[in-house]
Amino acid sequence: MIYKVSYLVVEADHPGAVLDQEKAPEVGDRVQLGDRVFEVLEVEELIPPMGEFSFLHVTCRPVEDEQ
Amino acid sequence: MLPTEVLERVSIFAGLSQEELQQVAALSRPVQYNRGDVVLREGEASNELYVIGKGMVEIVLGAGDQDARPVLNLGTGQVFGEMALVDRGARSATVRATTDETVLYAIPSDALLRLCEENTHIGFVMMRNLAAELSLKIRLRNIADRMGAG
Repeated sequence: MIYKVSYLVVEADHPGAVLDQEKAPEVGDRVQLGDRVFEVLEVEELIPPMGEFSFLHVTCRPVEDEQ
Repeated sequence: MLPTEVLERVSIFAGLSQEELQQVAALSRPVQYNRGDVVLREGEASNELYVIGKGMVEIVLGAGDQDARPVLNLGTGQVFGEMALVDRGARSATVRATTDETVLYAIPSDALLRLCEENTHIGFVMMRNLAAELSLKIRLRNIADRMGAG
């Protein structure tokens, strides 16, 4: 399965990102977008999977001590 | 030419056979950019869609204005410029590379549409996937608006 993940950043001025991943993100995960690290707060399925693609949305916030 | 193993991982081409992926790949040409390079500009005529083979790009609204702001980053396997396939309108945003040695594969919209007309399976699959892609973007915008983010 290819996870197409949309990252929405809250509590910071960051445009977010859309990335393909081999593993689904989970709440509490740390993820690097560019040169900053974020913590996953919420994972939501956007639409049902299509073929090998799963479409997920993640809300995340910056991890201040790991920039 | 865009490797089919890269194309297989691009959602708008999901459901195409290997032979069909090769037909799409044959239309593509690689282009490389470094950090800060502009790939396409808001307001320009649109005639190609792009697949990100390596690296990352940012989508910027109002580039050149004092209110310019990046609204999204896209990583490997993502597509941009796909709206040109359906509405042939001017580019809706500026796209810039954010990493060195960013490799994109440009696919001419006219050639891709001709392929869709000649091979109706390719046409159906691509348009269905494109509709899903655009619907996703609307859902994402709704979420962002609801959360007051972005």
